[in-house]
Amino acid sequence: MSFLAPLFLVALAGLAVPVVIHLIQRERRQVVVFPSLMFVRRVPYQSVQRRRIRHWALLLARLGVLALIVVAFARPFVRGGSSAAGPAGAREVVILLDQSYSMAFGDCWARAQAAARDAIDALGPADRGSLVLFAERAAVSLRSTSDRDRLRAAVAAAAPAAGATRFSPALQVAGSILADSPLPRREVVLVSDFQRSGWRGAGTARLPAGAALTPVLVSSDPNARNAAIVAASLARSTFAGQERITITAGVVNRSARALAEVAATLEIDGRAVQTARIALDAGGSGSVAFDPVTVGRQPMRATVRLPADALEPDNAFHLVLRPPAPVEAVVLEREGAPETSSLYLVRALSISDDPRIDVTRRTGGTLSDEDLRRASVVIVNDAPVSAGLAPRLRRFVESGGGLFMVLGPRASWPPEQPLLPFAPGPPVDRSRGDAARLGAIEYGHPVFELFRAPRSGDFSAARFFGYRGLSTPAAAPAAAGTASDVLARFDSGAPALVARAAGRGRVLMWASTLDLTWSDLPLKPIFLPFLHRAVRYLSAYVTPPPWSTVGQVVDPSRVRAESGEPRLAVTPSGRSVPLDDEGSDVLELEEPGFYEIRGQPTDQRPDVVAVNVDARESDLTAMDGRELAASATGSAGASGSAGAVADVTPDAQERAQRTWWYLLWAGLALLGVESMLAARASRTT
Amino acid sequence: MATSSPSTAVPGARFVDPAVLARIGNLELVARTVVDGFINGLHRAPYFGASVDFAEHRGYVAGDDIRRVDWRLYARTDRYYVKEYEADSNANFTVLLDVSKSMDYGSGGATKLEYGRILAACLTYLVHRQRDRVGLVAFDRDIVEHVPPSARHMEVVLHVLDRVRAERPGALRAPLHKLAEHFGRRGVLVLISDLYDEPDNVLEALAPLRFRGNDLIVFHLLDRAELEFGFTDASSFEDVESGEQLPVVPDTLREQYVSLVRAHIDALTRRCAEARVDYALLDTSAPLDHALFKYLTTRDRLMRVR
Repeated sequence: MSFLAPLFLVALAGLAVPVVIHLIQRERRQVVVFPSLMFVRRVPYQSVQRRRIRHWALLLARLGVLALIVVAFARPFVRGGSSAAGPAGAREVVILLDQSYSMAFGDCWARAQAAARDAIDALGPADRGSLVLFAERAAVSLRSTSDRDRLRAAVAAAAPAAGATRFSPALQVAGSILADSPLPRREVVLVSDFQRSGWRGAGTARLPAGAALTPVLVSSDPNARNAAIVAASLARSTFAGQERITITAGVVNRSARALAEVAATLEIDGRAVQTARIALDAGGSGSVAFDPVTVGRQPMRATVRLPADALEPDNAFHLVLRPPAPVEAVVLEREGAPETSSLYLVRALSISDDPRIDVTRRTGGTLSDEDLRRASVVIVNDAPVSAGLAPRLRRFVESGGGLFMVLGPRASWPPEQPLLPFAPGPPVDRSRGDAARLGAIEYGHPVFELFRAPRSGDFSAARFFGYRGLSTPAAAPAAAGTASDVLARFDSGAPALVARAAGRGRVLMWASTLDLTWSDLPLKPIFLPFLHRAVRYLSAYVTPPPWSTVGQVVDPSRVRAESGEPRLAVTPSGRSVPLDDEGSDVLELEEPGFYEIRGQPTDQRPDVVAVNVDARESDLTAMDGRELAASATGSAGASGSAGAVADVTPDAQERAQRTWWYLLWAGLALLGVESMLAARASRTT
Repeated sequence: MATSSPSTAVPGARFVDPAVLARIGNLELVARTVVDGFINGLHRAPYFGASVDFAEHRGYVAGDDIRRVDWRLYARTDRYYVKEYEADSNANFTVLLDVSKSMDYGSGGATKLEYGRILAACLTYLVHRQRDRVGLVAFDRDIVEHVPPSARHMEVVLHVLDRVRAERPGALRAPLHKLAEHFGRRGVLVLISDLYDEPDNVLEALAPLRFRGNDLIVFHLLDRAELEFGFTDASSFEDVESGEQLPVVPDTLREQYVSLVRAHIDALTRRCAEARVDYALLDTSAPLDHALFKYLTTRDRLMRVR
């Protein structure tokens, strides 16, 4: 028997009030002055008994009324024990054991295993148990077995993983196990440290109706030393022609006591190179900046490490310091073009920072296969493309390159090569009258997305005195198999910029020039960002993240298997994971550290992915397990410790809590009896 | 003893509610109103006292004052006769008024003290008309006021009566014993009290008054509430003299209370009769004429006995 509102029981002290009043209070009756009590005193009257209780039944009735009402308001309910009040029958018990890395804190894991064993020991002969280990994801370790020894062995074999806590997948797995179970009673025992960060998404996970959830909280000493590196930032700079990276790490003190000196060590390729110290208040945070590190030509593995404490996995933060990866762009000019024909274009591209663009100028005759192999983007700047060059460019695009066709008065494309979305048409002269301006622009496209916000660039300021009309080639788009998008149009409605995907590459057609021949666009502020965005789009440039988080997946297909060797990934613990060459699979990052992805050409070092644990998990702030239980079961009744299984089905809960209703009615009935007793007593006295 | 209806006892008497009389401030006016009305209503009743009325002649004996010889009779009969008169007037008449705090009680109109005050005034006035000497003693546990009997003290008695207040608890024995020594000359003593004491104690207190040959009339004043105990609500009853409180449920108590009061009155009646003390119970809600009638009958009886 427990109470939902036990504070109301304090009112039971009010039971003493009538008794105390009776004992200490004089009878406050109307005083009648009488000449002499000589005769009154002689009457054998029980005046000496006036301090004694004469109407025991009345007093008890009143005390009973008070007690019943108070207890009713305290909302008593019967907690269903595992064998007492619950419905009879075998149980299907799912033990959810949190194996997130925060369970390695102090002695949490040992206590969690003990709690799981307790739940296993509580299984009856007809009961069946399942063990689900969960962190970021949930995995069924043992499903619905009555073999308790196997369950115990599975618990003993489990160990904390590197993932962060998430309750939602675990509850869904438990729900599916319970839903499949034919046993009448379904229970979930959730053993966890109940970090609040694990709650995300758990609000929607529901157990089947009638299932009970018992949260078992395991926690350790909050005063234990626990510092964590939660983030790092990389600042790139160039010094003496070499790129340098300054690493700044964010350190948080998760413990309840201040840490006077925390030594943070920076390791490069496994070698400690720098140490910085920081003092942290209780619950405070700070940042540690290391001296700049010069980046070589190959990716470097950097690790910021804190001294060992109660929670180990969050003491190391791994990074990959990559050399700069410029986009190789080839500007293709016509033979005999003046030096200034690509002046604006080349200057604009060469000052790009993110990504850096290395520009190579070629003519149609000097463009070699090696140029194409190295290049990511080819910009045909108002140059005629010969019938021999077009197929090479087409192959270049279909293998993943980007082609930017800038259509000046001299540009041409052999119509038999179906690569361009439109065939260049005759020039349109707008030098007389109003110059053409850009009208409709597809701001949703990556090229123009930067200018989407108001006052982020005015394309209508540029004037176009001439452009090439574009006409749809008869069979080209259909042959290419993909549609084309008109990203911008002149005010006459003619297409100005057209995009098209071809194979793995992309094609952009600009209907005017990128110098001052036909427009003043190079003089406008939008010219640089527009050109940079266009090249970035064409090269499909993606900034590789310096680190990933456990639980994320990476697409290893970005590693080109040009060497023909079988590709494989080596985990930080040294395990080899073969990668499917089809490119359809993903590599799941399960451990903190550095993953190597091998299979590159022999002259390159293996690609490296730095993986860190989820920093949110290092925050050990716990939530109320009953809150989770209430959300998962849809009721607020489940609570308790290990082994105590609450019956929280709505019907059972209603049954268990209905007592207060009866008590209230009993109190009212007793009140009626009290009224009758009081009336009778007042008549007789 | 419940008071019988005065209208049947004294036909034609003028009945005035004591509650009305109590509101009249002037005691002399009250006394005159009551007494004159009472006397006029008697219609030459044989009880009229005569202080100078002729009683009989007797033969002169040596030693008689020759001034009392009836010379007219000597002229007719040539014998000496001495004239004797009926009433030996100028008796001392003293009212002993209990002014203890218990007398300051009245459930309806007049309190017992007011009633006793009017009664004393009436009797004084009545007696004064008969040329008797009037005096007054007010007492509680001690003597509060003492007006010695005198033919000229009528006004003083009325004034003192008007002035006394019931303020202290009372006792009978001490003041009455002390008084008894002062009544050297035989007279009529009227005790007006509620007699809240044991009958034995009352009689013991009264006994010395009788020793000097005084005629003692006891008017026992009780309120209607004291006689009938007509309370209904359970209450705390407070003794007006001692301040003691007792929780009382009247319904359960009344029967025994009334019987106890009745036994007390019966005992007083019996014991007073044995001690040759005239005793009369007066309900303060009854008109005064009953008391006056009682006094006159007593006085008449006394004179006859003499």
